[in-house]
Amino acid sequence: MSTKRIIIDTDPGVDDALTFLLALASPEIQLEALTTVQGNVSVEKATRNALSVLKLAGAGHIPVAQGCSHPLIKEPHKSGEAVHGSSGIGRSNLASPKSAPMNLHAIDYLIERVLAERGELSIFPIGPLTNIALAIRKEPRFAKAVKELVIMGGAIRSGGNVTPLAEFNIHEDPHAAHVVFNSGIPITLIPLDVTYKCLLTAEDVERLNRIDSPIARFVRDATADYMAFYKQYEGFDGCALHDPLTLAAILAPELLTLEEQHVDVDISGGVSTGKTYADFMKVTKKPANMKVALDVKGREFVELFIERMERLCAGVK
Amino acid sequence: MNPKHIILDTDPGIDDSLAMLLALASPEVQLVGISTVHGNVSGEQVTKNALAILELAGASHIPVYKGCDVPLVKEPLISPETHGNTGLGYAQLPEPTAQPQAGHGSDYLIEQIMSRPGEITLVAIGPLTNLALAYRKEPRIAQNVKEVFIMGGAIQHPGNTTALAEFNTYVDPHAAHIVFHSGMPILLTPLDVTYSCIFTPDDLKRLQRIDSPITKYIADSTRFYMEFHDEYQSIAGCVINDPMTLALTFMPEICDYQTLVVDVDISTGVGLGNTFADFYNYEKKPANMQVAMSVRPRLFMELFLERMEKLAHSLS
Repeated sequence: MSTKRIIIDTDPGVDDALTFLLALASPEIQLEALTTVQGNVSVEKATRNALSVLKLAGAGHIPVAQGCSHPLIKEPHKSGEAVHGSSGIGRSNLASPKSAPMNLHAIDYLIERVLAERGELSIFPIGPLTNIALAIRKEPRFAKAVKELVIMGGAIRSGGNVTPLAEFNIHEDPHAAHVVFNSGIPITLIPLDVTYKCLLTAEDVERLNRIDSPIARFVRDATADYMAFYKQYEGFDGCALHDPLTLAAILAPELLTLEEQHVDVDISGGVSTGKTYADFMKVTKKPANMKVALDVKGREFVELFIERMERLCAGVK
Repeated sequence: MNPKHIILDTDPGIDDSLAMLLALASPEVQLVGISTVHGNVSGEQVTKNALAILELAGASHIPVYKGCDVPLVKEPLISPETHGNTGLGYAQLPEPTAQPQAGHGSDYLIEQIMSRPGEITLVAIGPLTNLALAYRKEPRIAQNVKEVFIMGGAIQHPGNTTALAEFNTYVDPHAAHIVFHSGMPILLTPLDVTYSCIFTPDDLKRLQRIDSPITKYIADSTRFYMEFHDEYQSIAGCVINDPMTLALTFMPEICDYQTLVVDVDISTGVGLGNTFADFYNYEKKPANMQVAMSVRPRLFMELFLERMEKLAHSLS
């Protein structure tokens, strides 16, 4: 079986951290690097968290490149810490990482890797798209050299989670999303329409903690407040596995229902700023620019997630 | 007096090329290098033009770094009807022998500004894509650049690209938005002052008394530019926005300035790219730039003509 080589562009973030763990637990995936971006937390915290989680999972050799500290145009939001905790990863108190990020900006790291291995690397952006947009703009050959993007972002038919219409990652940098969506890079979009169907419950976390492992304890500590947030604001038990679901595109594509659509994002500055919309009725006659996931076998993905975490906790990849 | 160390971020462009020549002819400034940006013509063509102009003026030792090919967010827009297909009007310069340096224009700005804190004067006379990209990648350039002179915008003056918007800010309004909000010390030269400075056919005749490749170039390039101004704007002569911006770096008395809060419309409505000043400071925001709002046109034009005469003599 050939492994798929990926770079995750990320703003960890509780569900971001779970995504790294799922990637590391999966023999189908070779995690090449993490690039960080401002989003759930500041880029400095995102970088620190990325290094800490890699260390926890015994993957401190994987390089981390720090990226943009600010969205392209918009002012950064101020609310992410309410969801992800002041550290960005809930109550987990991971040791300060001893390792440091690379001495290279994430934009340049992405450009360098992608041009050196044209058509080989898939990028999984699970935060705001600032780094990806600037890599596209700085190096015109970048878009043709990336194998694909699998993006967590947007809300097509689903309501938004930061405004009535908009999802967080896209709303945080709508201009970057506009650049990326119109770049010509093959895209798979994983929007709230499917991620809210993948709920990790307290029982799931308890089941995982039957294994005595620092990783299992991390998952518990990281998700505790995240679950409390969902309970308080969105009225359900458990937390959505938004970012980890991107990896279903590799691990279990049969769980996703994908449609080819033309999707764009509103950058007008009006009430729908950051809204992702698909032209279902083909009124614009624009060709499809992505595959968008509109349904998922949610519980099956959560089971897959837990099984992989159990294997990782038991020290098996 | 020590000359100011200047980097030109430019999209030559007829008036851009005249700004390059003015920098080379002026002992008050030292042209450290050039970063190029899409705008009047494509990123490839502006880079070739910058190299060709430096060779024309015997200054091919000055490094040229190619920057961004397209605007940050908007679709690209170039302006061959104003500057001709090559960007330099009817001028036919030889193919440049020099190549641009390795490295991106935006990284060149970062590297120069960060290695010489408080020393670099940036003169940005095209769309602001390179500067915006550089700032997003390295936000500390805002505190480390000495000053940024920008040709762009139309405050109380009408636009020259839409009814409301000036070309450079219209081509990349998002980049202008980023730069205007960056905290860099900005001096803006909008159409409000540049449209008072007309390079006339008589001015050209004065320069043509000197037989030199420089005066021939100015004649060939501005003849096209004058035809455009005559056809579209009923102006006898041409507006040379960019060299005026350059001149303000060492002869500030050409203009009078107001300290203002200026922003740019990025809403995608009819006002897209419009630069507007909050003259009454309704929004109580701190001023973010100095704006040249009135001008002594002949003071600038005499300076420009004298310097071009000097350069032409030295290269005749």
